[in-house]
Amino acid sequence: MNWRPIGALVSKDFTLFFRNRFFAVITVLSLVMFPVIYFVMPSSVDETLEIGLYAPVLPPAIQQIQEAEDEGLRLDVVESEEALKKGVTEGRYVAGLALPADMTEKLVLGEAPEIEVYFASHTPEDFRDIIDIVITEMAYLQIGQPLDIDWQPEILGPDMAGSQIPQRDRLRPLFAVFILMTETFGLAGLLSEEVERRTAWALLVTPMTVKELFTAKGIVGVVLAFSQALLILAVVGGMGEQPLIMVIALLLGAVLVTGVAFLIASLGKDFLSVTAWGMPALIILSIPAFAILTPGEVSSWIKAIPSYYLTDTVYRVSNLGIGWSEVWHNLLILAGCNLVIVAAGILTLRRKFQ
Amino acid sequence: MNLRRVSVLLGKELFQGPKSFMFVMTIVAPVVISLVISLAFGTLFDHRPTLGIVDEGNSRLVSMLDELPSVVGKAYATETELKDAVAKGAIDSGLVLAEDFDSSVLAGERVEIPIYVWGESLAQDRLVITAAVANQVRELAGQEAPVEIKSITLGDEESIPWSDRMLPFVVLMAVVIAGLGLSGTSLLSEKERRTVDALVITPATIGEVFVAKGLLGIILGTFMGVVILVLNQALGSQPGLLVMLLFLGSIMAAEIGLLAGSLADDITAFFASMKIMGILLYAPVVIYMFPGIPQWIGHIFPTYYIVEPIIQISQRGGGWPEIAMNTFILLGLNILLVVLIAVAVSRKRQYAV
Repeated sequence: MNWRPIGALVSKDFTLFFRNRFFAVITVLSLVMFPVIYFVMPSSVDETLEIGLYAPVLPPAIQQIQEAEDEGLRLDVVESEEALKKGVTEGRYVAGLALPADMTEKLVLGEAPEIEVYFASHTPEDFRDIIDIVITEMAYLQIGQPLDIDWQPEILGPDMAGSQIPQRDRLRPLFAVFILMTETFGLAGLLSEEVERRTAWALLVTPMTVKELFTAKGIVGVVLAFSQALLILAVVGGMGEQPLIMVIALLLGAVLVTGVAFLIASLGKDFLSVTAWGMPALIILSIPAFAILTPGEVSSWIKAIPSYYLTDTVYRVSNLGIGWSEVWHNLLILAGCNLVIVAAGILTLRRKFQ
Repeated sequence: MNLRRVSVLLGKELFQGPKSFMFVMTIVAPVVISLVISLAFGTLFDHRPTLGIVDEGNSRLVSMLDELPSVVGKAYATETELKDAVAKGAIDSGLVLAEDFDSSVLAGERVEIPIYVWGESLAQDRLVITAAVANQVRELAGQEAPVEIKSITLGDEESIPWSDRMLPFVVLMAVVIAGLGLSGTSLLSEKERRTVDALVITPATIGEVFVAKGLLGIILGTFMGVVILVLNQALGSQPGLLVMLLFLGSIMAAEIGLLAGSLADDITAFFASMKIMGILLYAPVVIYMFPGIPQWIGHIFPTYYIVEPIIQISQRGGGWPEIAMNTFILLGLNILLVVLIAVAVSRKRQYAV
């Protein structure tokens, strides 16, 4: 293998890539937009119902409930009903409770006191029902009427209560797949251009071999995809845990999309048809990343999509901090898929060149 | 302007169109995205906790929980299925009701409820589920609520579900892809293949070519806009006004497409400019989706005058008096764009001569 023409071809492709306004624009847009989306989203998950409370006389049970802050409910006592209304209107509280001064006495006498609950007008009806249920249970607690239920809870999976994964961190695999796939369009576009303008044949009448041609194109695809995915994940904090695993996963992901680009280029004739074939590929490869956003909604068939092994690795390594012992098989399967897809891509593209 | 020649050119566009990627995208993309949004936003942005139940007897508690608007209930046949669903995160919690559950509760006996909780379930969801089940068990046992709750609503801002907030985005997308994308790419592909030069040496004028391509985008844009509204059952009580707005919106989109198509050198430059322009075109719907953003910002963008009247009619039950001002502004913008295209066409004609 002669590396000089390969180097020249790689350098020419990089120049052409960034000279193409469409690819240059979507590359820059992706590099800017994904971090912007990430940093605009909330960095933590608020899993507590924050309720404002105004009570001229604070019932004893309230103190007990206040201590249950880490169990999904926080009661914030305010000094006046006006402050309570203001808190609800400004969105600091999901609801505001105004307890009557004679509440404890009435409860002792077996009468049902009236509790006023303030909601912002945009609070959905089902959410109001949630608050009603929680308040009723608080009242039962106040009157000391126990419920004869023996709850036997069992937590399935790691208990994340109090340390939930923010939605923006769940998006990391999606960023990785999107940025990798963006470069697929680029490489497939470059390849189809070589075919369309017949420069590929011109190259093959030089001392350059088909093998060297594919090596050069492969290097361009992998370098473009890998470097940008690595940069994006580093910016959005995806490299904090097990950086070596992440580097290998992204490298394998870059090889995967390069193989997909070869396949797309073999099917497409020009820029529009490359885009046409690229879109279904992008959608299919993105499904596992979307599945992370909606756990439980997708069945195990998504494991048939090669990008599952990339997104699962990126998600679990960056968010759950898992190590080699739990992802080695993902990386192995991804490498196997790469072999098949790259080989299929080279074969189909080679037929086109012949 | 010869209408016969325009209709011949338009006929050719409609006949050749279905073979092009952009034409297929125009029809498929909005429908698929609309369906995905209605599926995804029905569940993804539903904040209600989900509770799975295995009912080994025939407990009344199941139907009582089903009636609660605050919890989404799902039935499972076996405990294994339930545990699997919880472990995958398909539901927040799952409980198993024993065969004699109801009779034990009614007899005042202590009952055991095995409850499986998904590790990633939010603390507030766990609290709500536990409180809801406890509440309904008390009701089943005949206990009376110790308090009366009086709900008071503050302010007059209404709650808009996410699926509704996304609707203007899908409608605008349908209009933009068809109007802007189809007209622009059709013009550019003629330019790239140099068939536009061949056309202008026939009796057809460059203006007629532009009109035919614009009409293609307008017809398909209006049609797809209506399809999306029908799919989302959002035609409202004024379908005639909505169709008129979609028609005017499609005219604007087609005009922008023709303008961009006449200015761009090739298809890649066109798509690059569309990527950047997309931010401006979709800005009003993004602003609408997030009421926290000052809504006056939306007025700056031209597509606001398409989106706002559509929202007004399809979601707020408005009529002509509510949309008249914005519709006239939309009409004015369309006329302005016609002038800009006329300048572009005259430049093109000079080039052709």
